[in-house]
Amino acid sequence: MNKPLRWLIGILVFIAIWQVASLLINKSIILPAPARVFTELAWQLTNRLVWIAALETAWKVLLALILVLLAGVSTGLLLGVNETLRDCSRPIIMVIQAVPVISWLTLVLFTWGPGWEGPVFIAFLSLIPIAILTTVSGVQNLDLELLEMARLYKVDRLSIIKDIYLGSLLPFIIAIIDVTIGQAWKVILVAEYLAGDSGLGVMILSARYEVNAVKLYAITLLAVILGITTERMLKSSLGRVSKRWLSAL
Amino acid sequence: MAKCVIARDLTKSFENLSVLSGLSLEVDAGERLVLLGASGSGKTTLLRIIAGLDYPGSGFLEVAAQRIGFVFQEPRLIPWRTVRENLLFVNRQGEVERLLEQLRLKGFENYYPAQLSGGMKQRVNLARALIIKPALLLLDEAFASLDPPVKMSILDDLMKQWQNNRFTIISVTHDLKEGLYMADRAVILDSSTGQISHDIEIDLEAQRSIFSPRLLQLEARMLQLMTQAAVT
Repeated sequence: MNKPLRWLIGILVFIAIWQVASLLINKSIILPAPARVFTELAWQLTNRLVWIAALETAWKVLLALILVLLAGVSTGLLLGVNETLRDCSRPIIMVIQAVPVISWLTLVLFTWGPGWEGPVFIAFLSLIPIAILTTVSGVQNLDLELLEMARLYKVDRLSIIKDIYLGSLLPFIIAIIDVTIGQAWKVILVAEYLAGDSGLGVMILSARYEVNAVKLYAITLLAVILGITTERMLKSSLGRVSKRWLSAL
Repeated sequence: MAKCVIARDLTKSFENLSVLSGLSLEVDAGERLVLLGASGSGKTTLLRIIAGLDYPGSGFLEVAAQRIGFVFQEPRLIPWRTVRENLLFVNRQGEVERLLEQLRLKGFENYYPAQLSGGMKQRVNLARALIIKPALLLLDEAFASLDPPVKMSILDDLMKQWQNNRFTIISVTHDLKEGLYMADRAVILDSSTGQISHDIEIDLEAQRSIFSPRLLQLEARMLQLMTQAAVT
């Protein structure tokens, strides 16, 4: 049995379980039947505002990911090479990890009010520790003999960072993207729901106000489809880069 | 004759283990010196101190060479960079094409290290050391892992480079034939004293053969001296 067929069977089994569960619960406010949700989704997709909301959520996810990568990898590099800085920053990273999202959200609302900044900021704070700590472990796994060779030949610092550090870190950077992309979607949706002014999270909020469970499920389904699609696309292109890198080893 | 390396009373210890204890050595510019001795006698330590990769505990060291090439025992090539990129990494203005041709690496410019044999990797290791046009070339058991024909072929290429450029060579090896094939002088390090026990001129003809009776005779003598140094 090939992979797409197994996927299809998995999806059909999921829908079947969903159908049975909705029949058993028999309350569409809790779990509407899949057919109703799919019909609602199809109707929602004819609405231009839904597409705009999806795009707004997607660009926030992308922006948060780019910021996490830029700040996380450069900070991780710095902390990786400097033990004192690493030790000093450890409590800060732990605090960022431990502070509840709801506290950040409140702070964001005080600072910016509802808007795009809040969700991006919240996603950034939620994901930056993963990027920093993964990069630090990448730096600590560097081949010291390569660095010694570079030192012997008096290679400039920029070339060392570009050719040795970033080359060694590539698998770790790919791992960061791999881990954070799925989480970024979830965090952005929650943050939009609580502190956003646009996007799919806000549409879920409006479904709540309308007490419209079918719409809630339809928008959630759209968010899941978009999340999985972007995750698969990114993973596939990263997989190609990673494969080329591994073939060089 | 100008001196390339002057070392006086060098000491080096690792925790409580003394490796070099007042070692003195002078190497002329353009000379080919081989460092011999039992394992743990401090050959590699001395080489690393001369290269600036390690510091002596005490003593005086002067290295009159701006550019130092080092052929490591393991190739230390950047795995995700091609042969050409590995060479350019240490010298952006290096004459890559000419050197690749001279070291029989032409056609492999765009290969990654993992695509090369052990012998080819060591050729690239050597090419990287030569592309900086070194005044001093250090070899740390550079060809130890290679089979004899490959080793001899690389040694021949290295000797051609030396004929043309006359850089100073200091080589560490356990292979007496290799040392005698390429060197003008051999020093034997004594692991018990941490000093040089013997300093021997190798008065062999310029064009050498590893099968020449004179070389084989010298090899036997060296082996005898090394054994004495190891036993005492």
